[in-house]
Amino acid sequence: MSGSGSADERKVSSLRELSPAIEPPRDLWPQIEARINAQRRSAPAAQPRPARALPPRWLAAAALVASVAVGVWIGRSLLPAARSGSDVESARSASRASFAGAPTALDVAYVSDPRYQRDRAALMKSLQARLAALPPAARAKVMASLAALQRAKEDLESALGKDPGNALLQELLVNTYQDEMRVLTDVQASDAGRGI
Amino acid sequence: MGFSRLAAAMTVLFASAAASASGDKTFERQVPAEAHGVVDISNVSGTVVVSGWDRPQVSVRAELGEGVERVDVSTDHGRTTVKVVLPHSGHGGEADLHVQVPKDSELTVSAVSADVTTAGVTGVQRLNTVSGDITAELAGSDLELKSVSGNVKLKGHGQPARLHVSTVSGDVHLEHGAGDLEAGTVSGTLVVSLDSARSVRARSTSGDVHFEGNLARGADFDATSVSGDLNVRASAESGYAYEVSTFSGEISNCFDATPSEHGHLPGHTLQGTRGDGAGHLRLKTMSGDVQLCDRK
Repeated sequence: MSGSGSADERKVSSLRELSPAIEPPRDLWPQIEARINAQRRSAPAAQPRPARALPPRWLAAAALVASVAVGVWIGRSLLPAARSGSDVESARSASRASFAGAPTALDVAYVSDPRYQRDRAALMKSLQARLAALPPAARAKVMASLAALQRAKEDLESALGKDPGNALLQELLVNTYQDEMRVLTDVQASDAGRGI
Repeated sequence: MGFSRLAAAMTVLFASAAASASGDKTFERQVPAEAHGVVDISNVSGTVVVSGWDRPQVSVRAELGEGVERVDVSTDHGRTTVKVVLPHSGHGGEADLHVQVPKDSELTVSAVSADVTTAGVTGVQRLNTVSGDITAELAGSDLELKSVSGNVKLKGHGQPARLHVSTVSGDVHLEHGAGDLEAGTVSGTLVVSLDSARSVRARSTSGDVHFEGNLARGADFDATSVSGDLNVRASAESGYAYEVSTFSGEISNCFDATPSEHGHLPGHTLQGTRGDGAGHLRLKTMSGDVQLCDRK
């Protein structure tokens, strides 16, 4: 410490050089305590800054995060075809379940018409019987075509997982659903006694 | 009894025995029909061959295999029905039908595994099979054709008509068609040649689509697939605006236009105009490759 007004000013190179017995000329604590208490009393007037006072970049970042969260939620909840990664596999499993006859959430999401769901379920229910009535070679070809439709749906769903807003893929997926209905209807109509 | 008579009698006897042993029976019948009447033919297995003629009659000739019960032929109010009847047990045999109809008849053929062939019929044709192949001659009238797994061969003479063809797995070959075409398949291949097209809608899931032909002025052309390739060689005197879109397929063309990419997203697009741009041509696929050329 240095005394600016001292004539015989000297430099202190170590705390050990200072005398521990030196007392302050007066007790400073009461003044310090009084200031702290005064600040506490005046605290209600000094409210925290409202949120709008945050820097705009924080607001923008928060909005961005919120938007992404909502987008992800919509993509996962409302557009099953937009699933990606491991969800695509579960979508495929769902599609396979659908192929086996049980309409899935995937089907419902894309084709919400109850009449469509009812007709498709009925067609899927009778599919095995109709396939069994077909000549073996025709049965094999039809099953291969149904498998091709299933692969097409899975591929489109997978691609939509990468690009959910792609209008081309959405159009092709709707086409594929329509084609599947056409095939199911044609197979349904293929009466062994009179053709289609 | 002379030797020659004896020989003839023996020949007839042996022939009858052979026919009986094979179970084949022949059936022939002719009924009057209207020139622009309706003819319905159904057969499960075997063949159906239909040809148009100038007589106001329907003539049926059939070879019936073992297990075929009978052939019913009836006519009522301009509608002639030819039906191969099988036993109720469901274990039917094959029948080969040869039917001649007034050429302007409206013809409907329904078959399961029987192959169907038509020629010289100028009226509307509706041809349906499950697994039987279909071969038909087009003569300017509308055609509705549907098959599950049968292959389809159509040959026209450039006369415009409305053609509606769909298969599940069967291939479709169409030559010298004209007019409006709507063709769809899941896994079959579409090979189409149109002398003059007003509108074309071709749709496939995994099968390839090949088109070659002329587009009439203002024609509308749409072809889509999921994974099948689209190969289109379409010429048009008045040109067309084209739009090609793929998600992961490649786009090539014969007029050196450069496809554009979708920034960081997958997919390619090729857009532009050939000639006056009077027609519209759209090709869309997910993973199929697209080839477009404005020359046949």
